[in-house]
Amino acid sequence: MEYQGIQVLLHLRLGIILSLLAGISYCKHPPSFFFEVSRSRKYITEAYFQKHDILIDRVFQDFISNEFSHGFCRKQNFMPKLLVIQQQLIGEGSHRHLTLSIKIEIQLEVLSKFPSHSCEAILVERLPSGVFADPFELEHLTRRGVFTDASAFGDTDLELPTVRANRSAVEVHMDLSRNMLSGNGWEFNIELPLHARYAPLGKHGYTRVEFVSPDVFVQCIVEGNSHNQRCIFSSTNDGVISNSTATVWEVPSGIVKHTKLVAVLTFISAVVGTLPIFMACVFCSENSYYKQS
Amino acid sequence: MGVLNIRSLIIFSAILRVFLIVYGEWQDTHMEVRYTDVDYLVFSDAAALVVAGKSPYKRSTYRYSPLIAYILTPNSFIHRSWGKFLFSASDLLVGYFIRIILKLRGVPENLSIYSVIVWLFNPFTFTIGTRGNCEPIICAIILWIIICLIRGNLFQGAVWYGLVVHMRIYPIIYALPIVLILDPNHFQPGKKPSIIDWNSRQHKSNENLGLSKLFDLNRLWVLFQSIFTRPRILFGLISATIFFFFTGTFFYLYEWEFMHEALLYHLTRTDPRHNFSIYFYHIYLNYERELSVLEKLISFLPQLIVQIVLIFRFAQDFPFCFFVQTVAFVAFNKVITAQYFVWFFCLLPLILPWSKMKLKWEGTFCILLWIGAQTHWLFWGYMLEFKGKQVFLQLWAASLLFFAANIYVLITIILRHTYSPVFKHLVTSHSQKTK
Repeated sequence: MEYQGIQVLLHLRLGIILSLLAGISYCKHPPSFFFEVSRSRKYITEAYFQKHDILIDRVFQDFISNEFSHGFCRKQNFMPKLLVIQQQLIGEGSHRHLTLSIKIEIQLEVLSKFPSHSCEAILVERLPSGVFADPFELEHLTRRGVFTDASAFGDTDLELPTVRANRSAVEVHMDLSRNMLSGNGWEFNIELPLHARYAPLGKHGYTRVEFVSPDVFVQCIVEGNSHNQRCIFSSTNDGVISNSTATVWEVPSGIVKHTKLVAVLTFISAVVGTLPIFMACVFCSENSYYKQS
Repeated sequence: MGVLNIRSLIIFSAILRVFLIVYGEWQDTHMEVRYTDVDYLVFSDAAALVVAGKSPYKRSTYRYSPLIAYILTPNSFIHRSWGKFLFSASDLLVGYFIRIILKLRGVPENLSIYSVIVWLFNPFTFTIGTRGNCEPIICAIILWIIICLIRGNLFQGAVWYGLVVHMRIYPIIYALPIVLILDPNHFQPGKKPSIIDWNSRQHKSNENLGLSKLFDLNRLWVLFQSIFTRPRILFGLISATIFFFFTGTFFYLYEWEFMHEALLYHLTRTDPRHNFSIYFYHIYLNYERELSVLEKLISFLPQLIVQIVLIFRFAQDFPFCFFVQTVAFVAFNKVITAQYFVWFFCLLPLILPWSKMKLKWEGTFCILLWIGAQTHWLFWGYMLEFKGKQVFLQLWAASLLFFAANIYVLITIILRHTYSPVFKHLVTSHSQKTK
């Protein structure tokens, strides 16, 4: 009886300590929000895919402009300006890297209002149909410290060919520290590992996959009256210097006119392959024998 | 001396594997290209989900039985390389089981040591376990089933057989040969099956056992009459119970996600992406339309015919039968990846002591032909995947060549094999009376 009493007391104490710990950890993390959707999530693209099943450029842009209407963040008067954005595909074959060189201009006087180490760049690369990023590979790179955060959304099934897959998007977060500032802005490069899906059949053997320009945002923690708030600022693209030529990936595709030849020869090979095995079984019996004792 | 040799072989192999696992850890942290198999990361993620009380199928591309995730749960709380040690230990166990089987069949010590070396020091096999591929576990279970059958321990054999089919499905191809060897002439109540010794093999034939043996109607009739024997029914019932127990339990726990990923995916898998199979380009070219039932049947028939012919010809020499069946199954499959080769690599050492093929030069030629055809395919695969060249036709032609090489090596092995039933016919009480 006494033993049971001690046990109850012990559990009670443990419960109190755990609740206190939970409370402390909750207080240490200020409630963060910038625009409505990100109160519970850290990815913009995730919020988009919560509302829409497939990725359509126009719908995505409408979504962004609708979501950037939060009063507090708008009052900050912080307008990051995208100066340079260049994307380039590196490598050959089905696994390539998309390198992005980005320069963002900011008003330094506004930046001084923000606590240090409080800003990060968010890049959303809406991938064209036929190309995907592996979310697990992005996670691996994040763990190695290449990105602050990164994930892929949409149809990220690695095995589907283009005809069966929907488009996907990659979202990368990069910390923007004060010491990364060069001149009046931030300058950084991102290298995204991308993979080609099996392309739809064609006549000439290659399918053209063309990339659109990524969306760049800056997310900062802003000191408010009562508590710090997290705001996302969409960068203005006026006068941005970008690649003069489009970024294109030529993915090899099966040729329709091969269909008949391949079907016939494949089945002939399979049938012909069975014959020598059958013959070997017959002849093997004739030249080897085990005596049964 | 012999015991010492096998012991030192296994110790040396263990050291090699530990070194490779440690090296793998180093490569993973310091180099861009990982040593660890991508599947291992999938297993580990699935195991972590299990630890967190979630379904392992929440990890996309996890297409195995939940049992694999369960046994890898210590990856989350002991060390992330736990699974690699487990798979490599199974790999060593395969080496040990090879020796047991060969010893049971009376193979001399030196020959069984050479056979064990073929497994333990095959670069393909020791890298597969240390990179974190689960196939060594399947191989170890298959070999343990062979041991159970040879020792006449049918109950245990049936339990493991039900489990291994649940885990990997492909061993279902061994069901028919197992049924055939559970013959009343070999397995009688209260008696251990009698094993034919390796030394009693004889190469010279003095009777024609050709077509007449393969299609002896009388033999088929006797077989049909004696098909429903006690050992066969018990083996079937026990293995089916185990299979349905695990499949049913996991269906209850993870519902259709489990059925789709772990079972139906493997049964209906038609991968349009390039792989060693002769069917890959055909599947890709026809992926946008549904294949007709006739087309599906035509592609399945060669596989079925070859399996039936091999089973009825070699079932009584069942380790050899399993080997040729597996080689043929992989060669005629709609999808072939390199990890499938382990399925027959683990059975290869079991047939070597009965082969009349000399390493000099026929054996060497077969090895070089097989590796050469595979390397040729890999070259075109590299051109497509890593150089982005449109070489589908060349790659498919390379698949046909690799298929031809597989068939050539398979028939050479069959022709050089000394057919050797595992069990002696036991004298039945009925035949004793007639005497």
